[in-house]
Amino acid sequence: MSVESEDYFLNPPPGSAAARAVEFGIDLTLTLENLRLTPEERIRKLDEFILSVARLKASARILGPRDAADNQNN
Amino acid sequence: MPPIIKIIEEPLKLLGQHAVECVIIGGVAATLYGSTILANDLDVCYARNAENLARLATALQSVNAKLRNVPPDLPFILDAETLRRGLNFTFTTDAGSLDLLGEVRGVGFYEQAISGAITYELFGYSFPVLEIQKLILAKRAAGRAKDMVSLPELEAIRERQLQDLSAEDKRQT
Repeated sequence: MSVESEDYFLNPPPGSAAARAVEFGIDLTLTLENLRLTPEERIRKLDEFILSVARLKASARILGPRDAADNQNN
Repeated sequence: MPPIIKIIEEPLKLLGQHAVECVIIGGVAATLYGSTILANDLDVCYARNAENLARLATALQSVNAKLRNVPPDLPFILDAETLRRGLNFTFTTDAGSLDLLGEVRGVGFYEQAISGAITYELFGYSFPVLEIQKLILAKRAAGRAKDMVSLPELEAIRERQLQDLSAEDKRQT
């Protein structure tokens, strides 16, 4: 990736699409991280994330308000 | 059946193994362009010629594809003729979820999707990926909240791609 491209995402020029994205709330440093990966790595990273979320959902217990308060106190 | 741990990679390989003519669209296309917006499954726009429908049907049969979110007793024969009679399908398979679109809103059919598509080498196969400008058009046309949220980042990536191309042109002249 070129220095100019890195700079575009790290220091978005005023009026650019990148500046509008930052204003919208996008963290372009994460976009830059993705762009440094190969396309296969981007897919594998996505797969790992999907799997992590699925595992988290499977392992999560739903706590009621009282349980949640008890947990915080412990 | 063992759990699927490569939700995107496995369906891609399936399509590659069966030489299915298709264009990667949706969130996975956005991921390939560098977007951080998350996709949950693979969406492709497929060619509707008879040979491709036959290859697609064989591929889907090999992974026990079932229509997603339909009553289990709904009669459905998975073959090329059924694919020909329909257009857009959402499947759950042994290789992961796979959404097949005959037409992409804001873009058109396979012939329009493949035009200008960028080819990516993935897992030993070549896959056309919907051109980023068309991806933006498709997401805008879809108009769902999750699509609209992805637009500012995609537009930034596209703007930078155009600047890189312009710089490359200047270097060559």
